[in-house]
Amino acid sequence: MPIEIPIPTVTQVIFLVMALFTAACGLMVVISRNLFHSALFLVGALFGVAAIFVLLEAEFLAVGQVLVYIGAIATLIVFAIMLTRGMMRGRTSPMNHVSGRGALGALVFFVALLAFLKKVPWPEQAQAIPVDESLIAGLGDKFVTTYVVAFEAVGLLLMVALIGAVMLARDR
Amino acid sequence: MNIAALTANLHVILPEMVLAAFALLVILADMLRQDEEESRLLPLLTLAGILAAMAATAWIWNRPVASYQEGAIADGFALGARTVILVAAGLATLLSMGYLPRINRQMGEYYALVLLATLGMTMMASATDLIVLFLALEIFSLALYILSGYYRKNPRSTEASMKYFLLGAFASSFFVYGAALLYGAAGTTQLREIGNLLASDHGNPNLLWPGIALLLVGFGFKVSLVPFHMWTPDVYQGAPTPVTAFMSAGTKTAAFAAFVRVLMEALPAQQIQWGWALAVLAVLTMTVGNLTALRQLSLKRMLAYSSVANAGYILVALVPGTAQGSKAALFYLLTYAFMNVGALAVVITLEKIDELDALQNRAAGLADRWPLLALAMSIFMLSLSGIPPLAGFFGKFFVFQAAVEGGWTWLAVVGVLNSAISAYYYLRVMVAMYFHEAEEPVQPRRWGGLSLSLALTALATVIIGLYPSLWTGFLSGLGG
Repeated sequence: MPIEIPIPTVTQVIFLVMALFTAACGLMVVISRNLFHSALFLVGALFGVAAIFVLLEAEFLAVGQVLVYIGAIATLIVFAIMLTRGMMRGRTSPMNHVSGRGALGALVFFVALLAFLKKVPWPEQAQAIPVDESLIAGLGDKFVTTYVVAFEAVGLLLMVALIGAVMLARDR
Repeated sequence: MNIAALTANLHVILPEMVLAAFALLVILADMLRQDEEESRLLPLLTLAGILAAMAATAWIWNRPVASYQEGAIADGFALGARTVILVAAGLATLLSMGYLPRINRQMGEYYALVLLATLGMTMMASATDLIVLFLALEIFSLALYILSGYYRKNPRSTEASMKYFLLGAFASSFFVYGAALLYGAAGTTQLREIGNLLASDHGNPNLLWPGIALLLVGFGFKVSLVPFHMWTPDVYQGAPTPVTAFMSAGTKTAAFAAFVRVLMEALPAQQIQWGWALAVLAVLTMTVGNLTALRQLSLKRMLAYSSVANAGYILVALVPGTAQGSKAALFYLLTYAFMNVGALAVVITLEKIDELDALQNRAAGLADRWPLLALAMSIFMLSLSGIPPLAGFFGKFFVFQAAVEGGWTWLAVVGVLNSAISAYYYLRVMVAMYFHEAEEPVQPRRWGGLSLSLALTALATVIIGLYPSLWTGFLSGLGG
């Protein structure tokens, strides 16, 4: 009996490439020996996520991802590393003696999750989303109505982070 | 946009708004102050904020149950948990007053972070949405990571902060993954709607189970259940002791309150399954916590392992998934806030000036020279070991009663046995205080706030024990 090989559509190929790219970059962020390289791989991983957003027709999120994460946060991280001499030169190994066991644990976790996810009856056809300006307006509206508590909480979270950063960075 | 809908029921989050306002005020006051002397006002301002938040909570209590924009709710359970958290925060502020000037001068940030952490905790206790729950968790976790490293010159403090941060961030990722899967299973982040959907067999069970498991890991880390307790002794020991006191009572209350809400509102239909998982965790937590505490020489490490064991007792109340159980858990948290903060306050008095911890032999012979301090410590130790008629006894009594009436008698028996083991290490401290000779003369540290919090906690421990019905009347459980 000939094995039937499913022929992927163009979208599927693009998704596969982008997903693999994102995962590979994510892995490199963690195992790269140089912190600066880690930061650059982080940019790659964030870009991959943005590409997947585009694939899902969530252009606004994709643009937000590029602007905020790549444009601001990743750039800031890169600058911070470049301005810190010890970090630029440091070539410390990110591995220690438990990395083997850690990898095994991660693999078991992945397989267990996969076993569950394989059984999920995913919907064949996604719900149609109205694509126009009202989508973004609706998002903004939700932020200050249904999700106003969460929205304000994010502000407080940022304030905690700011105060903490000031406290850690200020001279003793 | 509808402004009226936005301001309707705004009083639900009034305590949080008060806390946020005072956090900003503290920062402002810290900037405007002229000299070091005026920084004494900061803890008073913090206390004022906490008292105002308490008043706001009491004010809401008399109003009908309401929720604000599907994000927060003010029911009896949330208000009770909020009160416990505010009590812990107030006591911790009293303890910080004389403690901080010796170790670090940046007091404005410290008190602002205490207020913001309190805000995160109370928000978590009243959150009804997975997103708000996660954000509140992050607010107080982030604040506590920094507070535990507040003693910058002490490497142990920095180590505690780093350890807490790395493990905490790891645990948070479990939590958020679990929340995402739960959202995938039900299609909503509203706890109550998740419950309705899952009860009517909609939703997706294959995403539900990994979701629950991952959420369990996230909560387990925050309340330090075995096997997610590894950080607890190091962080409790390395953090400045007022922070330890705040963390032990506050984090536990917030995380357990949210845990109860997720279990009782979103997942009541799955009780048979998670009940067993929690029962196994409870047995592990109580046993490992108590057996390890037996071997500790440092007072703070002993209290850290005792805190692990106490998380196990509280978990016993959650297993049957009844309203009675959740009420028992809340009552236990109330008693725990008083007796544990009290015990840590005694540890502060025994600490050497620039150390973060006191060994048990520092307590030797304390009763001869400082009888009142020894008496207070005895009250806390007896209460923690569950000896009547102190608060801790009734905490344990209600928890085990809830387990027995929910049909989990064997679990209650394991709990009682564990309680007997724990008596050994609590009473050992008393033996040292009353029957051992002092090895070195100990001059206890003291300041007004410390004495006040010692008196308050000792009194509360006794009064709750003598009149438990007073307190069970004003707390209420969750679920049917």
